[in-house]
Amino acid sequence: MARDYSEYLAINVLNEQQVVSYRTLSRALKVHVNLAKQMLYDFHRKQNAKKPSSVHATYLITGTRVAQSTSKTNGIHSQDGEDTVMRSSPPIPGSSPAKQTGDSGDNDDIPIRTVLLVREEHLEKAKATFKHISGIHVYSLQPGSLSDIQVLSDCNRRIVSLYAAEDPLVAWKQYGTIQDPNVKRRTQGQRPPPPVAPPLAKSAVSTKPTATAGKPVALERQASRASDASISSAKATPEPNDTANAKKSAASKPPATKRQSSDIFKSFAKGGSKAKKETPDTSAAPSPALVPVADQPMGGMSDDDGDDAVEDAEVEVRAGTGKLRKDRQAELEAMMDAEDDPMDDTAESGIDSQTEPVTKAQAEATEEPAETMVVENGRRRGRRRVMKKKTVKDEEGYLVTKEEAVWESFSEDEPAPKKAKMASAPAVAKGGAAAKKASKPGQGNIMSFFGKK
Amino acid sequence: MAETTFRTLITAFTDFLTVAIHTILWERSIYPKTSFLSARKYNFPVKQNRHPKVCEWINDAVTAVESELLKGRVHSVGVVIFTKDSKPLERFVFDVSRFPDVPVDDLDTLLQSGDADEPQSILPVVEMEEQFRATLSKLTASRTSLGPAPEGCTFTVAIELKPDALAPVSHPQPWIPAQVADDENDGATARHPTAKTTPLRAIKAGEMKFEAWIEEAGSDAADG
Repeated sequence: MARDYSEYLAINVLNEQQVVSYRTLSRALKVHVNLAKQMLYDFHRKQNAKKPSSVHATYLITGTRVAQSTSKTNGIHSQDGEDTVMRSSPPIPGSSPAKQTGDSGDNDDIPIRTVLLVREEHLEKAKATFKHISGIHVYSLQPGSLSDIQVLSDCNRRIVSLYAAEDPLVAWKQYGTIQDPNVKRRTQGQRPPPPVAPPLAKSAVSTKPTATAGKPVALERQASRASDASISSAKATPEPNDTANAKKSAASKPPATKRQSSDIFKSFAKGGSKAKKETPDTSAAPSPALVPVADQPMGGMSDDDGDDAVEDAEVEVRAGTGKLRKDRQAELEAMMDAEDDPMDDTAESGIDSQTEPVTKAQAEATEEPAETMVVENGRRRGRRRVMKKKTVKDEEGYLVTKEEAVWESFSEDEPAPKKAKMASAPAVAKGGAAAKKASKPGQGNIMSFFGKK
Repeated sequence: MAETTFRTLITAFTDFLTVAIHTILWERSIYPKTSFLSARKYNFPVKQNRHPKVCEWINDAVTAVESELLKGRVHSVGVVIFTKDSKPLERFVFDVSRFPDVPVDDLDTLLQSGDADEPQSILPVVEMEEQFRATLSKLTASRTSLGPAPEGCTFTVAIELKPDALAPVSHPQPWIPAQVADDENDGATARHPTAKTTPLRAIKAGEMKFEAWIEEAGSDAADG
């Protein structure tokens, strides 16, 4: 959707007298930044041909400069010097004095790699100081010469506020932002290591030793942990595996699981965030107090945040997830060979854990849901409602998902909600809604995790 | 948002006025640029003068403006730039006549919008800051349209009173009654024929409503 860039620039620079940087232009017209730079240059040339000095430009020069004499290039005082150094980055020329302390000053020419922002009137002078210029482009256009170069920082602030909704992991290709290929989006809840899914309900209950037996919080925690594990395993089928698995998952969230979770999450990165987003505050029912507590320990493992409240929902969710988990697991296996086993375990344990807390929370009640879950393993739709994940986007762009007792119905998107749950788990920990995440979070997350796959 | 009183409204305005004065001083090079410090206000980079006397003078002036605003007597506030020969060069005017009329006793009463159906906030901070930022940005861009100011300029702050307001005469007297050369209209803004008026922005954020523009004197028009 590249509108006519001249029109855009004419409106913004000439009529509204605003400063337009190449970044603003690229975001507004949805083009690559390099193209935006060219647009700026072209517009600048054309306008100045029509009417000289109607549009001013600031340039960004990258290259190597020889270290200049100290007095002039002390960063702080170069305000009125020929070159204006951007405050945000450490004053590179200014650092030369530090290097040159030993020298008498002009003897040794130390080449300094410099990135310099200059106004057009200082352009030639600045270029002369460079020994070698590796790049130069138009940084921004403004109607008049900038008296205060700091005003350019406002452009970035505007970008951040206007385009905060765009996912940088998606948008970077379009805009040309530099992206580290190894970067992965951090999901809030780490799944517990996928232990062998112990028999639902019972085993889970027993295996959750950590949680103080009586406390539903603890239960939830374990449940969530387990559920996380289960979810991450992706092998949804609530195979009532060993309690051992549950134990494993519940008791120890091995970093491995987390790591696996991370990897899994990495693939789910986008989805995960979305999942988190999708999951509105789920567990409404579970006492919020519980959730925060539960979340703390769960922290990395499962995001299942406080789904304590809705045991039934939890169970149902678990059941649903189990089924999905199976499918997911298959996919996961393909994806992550190494993690297959753990995932299975996790899945198992997850299920168990889920059932556990439920059971504990309400003796019989939990049992039943657990069973139901098993039975309904094949069920695509986990109608375990009430578990809602509320995804909040941080300043840093992290999606913090808080799981509340409100569960939502699973369907194919279980993994998403689950993932959200996981995300929320950490988020909850952050937000202090730890209690909630107890069992539900884990379950939901793990499932969603697999669901994605 | 309903926790704003008239006083907070005025304070918000005077904060903005202080920043605006500093920005005008920077833009018109009244004081050497090295005497300015980069600061941030409303999440926007602004320049602030570092000289203690200058800051003190500005603060005193703004305080005096504030006390008059609280009494509701002010029609507009102007920052006038004079040349070396004490002839006004240009004036940056902020028309504050649209501020709510609040009796003296109610200065600290919580204000509430009259529209009961739609509770509007009296002072929506975010919008207000956004508009302040825009105004400051326009102020800095005004350098282009005004052209450079001649050497040795000085400045002052002037207020124009509402027609029915009493002049601020007290002891010690912060205000000096200005000599009005062209006395055509009561409360006329033009003391000298203006060659050019450049609108800056009309701010409207809740009850914070004012307009800002730049007037240039006709006879002593600056270059460009």
